[in-house]
Amino acid sequence: MALFRKIGQLREFVEEVLKILYYYRGRVIFSFSGVALGILSICIIITTIDGANKKAQVIFETLGPNAIMVFGGSERQRAARVRVSTIRVNDADLIARVEGVYDIMKVFSARNVMMRYRDRNWQTQAIGSTTNYFESFSWGFQAGSPFTTDDYDRAEAVCVIGAKVYEELFRGEPALGKTILVGKLPTRVIGVLEERGGSVGGPHVDDRVIMPLTTVTARIVNERRYLSLVRLKTNRDLDSTIEDIRATLRASHGLKGNLDDDFTIRSSKDILAFVTVISGSLLLFLGTASIVALVVSGFVLANLFYLTIQERKKDIGIRRAYGATRKGILLSFLFESILITFIGGIAGISLSVILGGTFEKLFDIPMMFSFKVVFFALLFSFLTGLLSGLRPALRASRIEPIEAIRG
Amino acid sequence: MIVLTDIRKSYFVGDRELPILKGINLTVARGEFVVLMGVSGSGKTTLMNIIGLLDKQTEGRYVFADTNVDGLDDESLADMRNSHIGFVFQQFFLLPYLDAIENVLIPIVYSRKDIKHPRDKAKGLLGRFGLEHRIHNKPSQLSGGEQQRVAIVRALVNDPDLILADEPTGALDSKTGGEIMDLFRMLNDEGKTIIVVTHDPKLATFGRRLVRIEDGAISEDRAT
Repeated sequence: MALFRKIGQLREFVEEVLKILYYYRGRVIFSFSGVALGILSICIIITTIDGANKKAQVIFETLGPNAIMVFGGSERQRAARVRVSTIRVNDADLIARVEGVYDIMKVFSARNVMMRYRDRNWQTQAIGSTTNYFESFSWGFQAGSPFTTDDYDRAEAVCVIGAKVYEELFRGEPALGKTILVGKLPTRVIGVLEERGGSVGGPHVDDRVIMPLTTVTARIVNERRYLSLVRLKTNRDLDSTIEDIRATLRASHGLKGNLDDDFTIRSSKDILAFVTVISGSLLLFLGTASIVALVVSGFVLANLFYLTIQERKKDIGIRRAYGATRKGILLSFLFESILITFIGGIAGISLSVILGGTFEKLFDIPMMFSFKVVFFALLFSFLTGLLSGLRPALRASRIEPIEAIRG
Repeated sequence: MIVLTDIRKSYFVGDRELPILKGINLTVARGEFVVLMGVSGSGKTTLMNIIGLLDKQTEGRYVFADTNVDGLDDESLADMRNSHIGFVFQQFFLLPYLDAIENVLIPIVYSRKDIKHPRDKAKGLLGRFGLEHRIHNKPSQLSGGEQQRVAIVRALVNDPDLILADEPTGALDSKTGGEIMDLFRMLNDEGKTIIVVTHDPKLATFGRRLVRIEDGAISEDRAT
């Protein structure tokens, strides 16, 4: 291999290629931008999928790997966002008796309740729950403490507010001990939750007010029969616990034969599966887009390259006359095309870092930049350069010096 | 330096053989200055390409710099060209995206020789040929004569044994062309072997030996 005999020659070679690229910059810019866009979308795919998976993992860990949730309404009604109350208070007691079930949490959420503090208004959901709510979600407090069993039993007008609600009503002022209006009920703030941030497709997780279930059902809405959600943990196998709960509820609701369930049971596994589906469709759409962008820019690069070879025949001839081998010509043309796509790739990565923040805010999906992203992006840009440069480079290397010089 | 023995070259057009060179015997010793003269179609360019290791003869034997080059592969021929021959062409063939000194350094990029401080050497040579103020100009900013002088410096930078010039004055006016030929004369006085290929009868007496090619054969070979 007699291409570079000294390091100095390698440097001169690289400098020369850079000058060639600058000279033909008009053409280079086209292929360059195509590659940059393709790599940009690849970066966004990978970071978003990583982010979504990470988020799913966090949800999974927050809920606990053994968590099960029971909602009112069939799968179909839930899919259509129709809210039906079918889970009764005594259903929760029946579920509590299923083998393996512990840490049962009852929830009734009242939607669109107006909160008021001085002249500030904020509409959000008032969630009534049991005292284990905070511990079950491993949700910490930035101030104050949860409500107690006494508060629960006496249906006290106390509440814990989410970080978003705190921000809207108190704007950073101390909130503990202050009284806010929840609907028409004056309620004392006894705790402020830590900010958790984000959510997948639903209301913001920090935008909620949590009160004793008894207070919500008796003093805010008059609803003593139904619950919106029962959440529990099991120390048995998830699937068999779910089966038992299902059988219990079907019996309690008098559902016989092949009548559909009028309730929905979800486990933390389902949430993982859901995020996987989201990642999958993201991969499909953005993946197709980025591959198309890369292939198109590869073709553009190959064709522009092919055109320039005619123009650069003399260039090739003079180099061959002065001692360049076929292999040397081949490698320098390949290097040129790989350099274009490589720089395009780096531009794409930088763009994705810049645009990443905007994207994150827009779709509320966290993005995770990692070594992996950079590696794949550079690999793809390298391959694009190699594949599109190969044919033109081979053609260039086959040009005979006399043919080129006479040309 | 150069020993050509019964060199023949034919092109084939379909079944018909088209002979270009019909048995050339030519020996050029080190330090000679040969003008290879012939009208277009005489075969002089083909002969030059064979001498310059850019083309291969169909028949005959070629010994260049004490090496029989007939069976050499692409890489060895490229190396031979790089270390022994400096080319000068009618159209200069400077690369448009490189400035004067970078064009001069092209042979160095492919060189196997250990040339000390090639950049300083290139600068020195450019200065010697009156181009010190043109070192960082692109070819498009140079006159024809200046471009050809840059091309000659490029031919010299890697210390070749032979300068092979194909119609070096063809794109220049006669005054500038004369100056270029004087430069070759000067280089020859310093010991370089020089072969100039031309159709221009005015150049016949610039060399020290005139070889005339007619219809693929040598018709005249005399000292001038």
